[in-house]
Amino acid sequence: MNTTSSMSNEQIVSQVNDLMHTGFEIPRDKLVPTATLFDDLGMDSLDAIDMLVHLEEKLQIKVEGERLKKVRTLADIYGLVGEVAIPSLQPQSEQSH
Amino acid sequence: MKVFITGMGAMTSLGNSVDEMFQGLLDNRTGVRAYPEWAQHKGLFSYLGAPAPDFDNMKIPRAARRSMSRMSELATMATIQALQQADLPIGEGLNSQRILLCMGSTTGSPVILELYFRKLFEKGGPEGQLSTSFFKVMNHSVPANVAAALGFHGPLLSPSSACSTSAQAMILGWELIQSGFYDIVIAGGADELHYITAAIFDIVQAASRGYNDRPELSPRPFDRARDGLVVSEGASVVVLESEASMKKRGARATVEFCGGAYVCDGTHMSQSNASTMTEVMKLALTRANRNAADVNYVNAHATGTQQGDSQEVAAIREVLGGNVPVSSLKGHFGHSLAACGALEVIASVKMMENNVLIPTRNLVEVDPECAGVAHVQQKREARIRTVLSNNFAFGGMNTSLLLSSGK
Repeated sequence: MNTTSSMSNEQIVSQVNDLMHTGFEIPRDKLVPTATLFDDLGMDSLDAIDMLVHLEEKLQIKVEGERLKKVRTLADIYGLVGEVAIPSLQPQSEQSH
Repeated sequence: MKVFITGMGAMTSLGNSVDEMFQGLLDNRTGVRAYPEWAQHKGLFSYLGAPAPDFDNMKIPRAARRSMSRMSELATMATIQALQQADLPIGEGLNSQRILLCMGSTTGSPVILELYFRKLFEKGGPEGQLSTSFFKVMNHSVPANVAAALGFHGPLLSPSSACSTSAQAMILGWELIQSGFYDIVIAGGADELHYITAAIFDIVQAASRGYNDRPELSPRPFDRARDGLVVSEGASVVVLESEASMKKRGARATVEFCGGAYVCDGTHMSQSNASTMTEVMKLALTRANRNAADVNYVNAHATGTQQGDSQEVAAIREVLGGNVPVSSLKGHFGHSLAACGALEVIASVKMMENNVLIPTRNLVEVDPECAGVAHVQQKREARIRTVLSNNFAFGGMNTSLLLSSGK
């Protein structure tokens, strides 16, 4: 697993929110740090897994699947990405599905 | 017990509704276009396909759409159309253990299958696979996704027999209504366009290769210059309903679904067999309680292949003689595989309603091997009382069914 990051918190928030909006069609005004993935953003376990796959591909990071089980809010996602993001890689283009 | 068609939905290469589709037939349009980019695929020599026009798939909620490939999206849209015409509710009101959802496809999504395995080989394992990919490639992807989109939690079956899939779904539905298990069966099929589908037929030299630069001229069912089929895509769905249920609901019938039959060759995977075609047509007549003399239009399966077309003509001649009008709609639609059976039933219903016979597009000179039946080569008015519709498929699958307008 990779740790530390050259990405700023703002960049992480931007990248994650872009994915949530384009990939999962969640309105941007709902993308607040305290929003819970399941109750507030309408996601479920399949979405959570696919979100992780997209994040790993988009940001060239690797997250242990077990860590996903502890994620509850969007802020938890920002934190998880911040911990494992690789400094040298630039974000890739968006993918929707 | 009589069974009627009370709803129809179609997403086709001629348009994304039953009315658009039928207008395309009346206008003698083709859905076929050239795919010169398919030339990059080594060993593929057929570069024709007939796609369904783009549509607004955002009408399907994301939670349902995320596990759908294009074929499931097409099927969902067609099912909604059929339910609307049948005046059946979409959602909780549809749920009943007396309603069967019965539809299928040739395979799971070929588009996603390619992406799935491409990534699997690139990564050397399942790393990076989306959790939703499997739900697009599993064999019952189409009905499972349609059910999820509609919120339907009644009985579901997924018959799959390639190009006879939706014909079998309808005949099975008719059997199960006759048997008293269900009042209503929502039956159909769907497939999506992909070069590998063209390749499947091209490998066995059954796909059209000679008209890559003139897509409007192929396929050519029964024509002397035919050189194979053209793959298409789409979804078609009919609502079959018992007479008792129809009367109870006050539903309006289009035509009677008189019955049908399916018989397999058990001899060869790809070579059509006039003998079994004859057998299945005779069996369908018997099961539908109709005589050969009742039939006044045959909607042929004829896809434009050398052997399939001539074998079907031989069977029609044997069962019905040479005077019953015969046409195939593959020259308009291309071959929509799992969708074609129900699609051709829907087109036949529209022909009956509008008192018109649609000709075989691109049939200019009847091949001597396909002679001896009354080919429809020009659109013409006709009062159509009873239709016999054939569909055949790889694997030696043979189906035949009958419709009656009651006129």
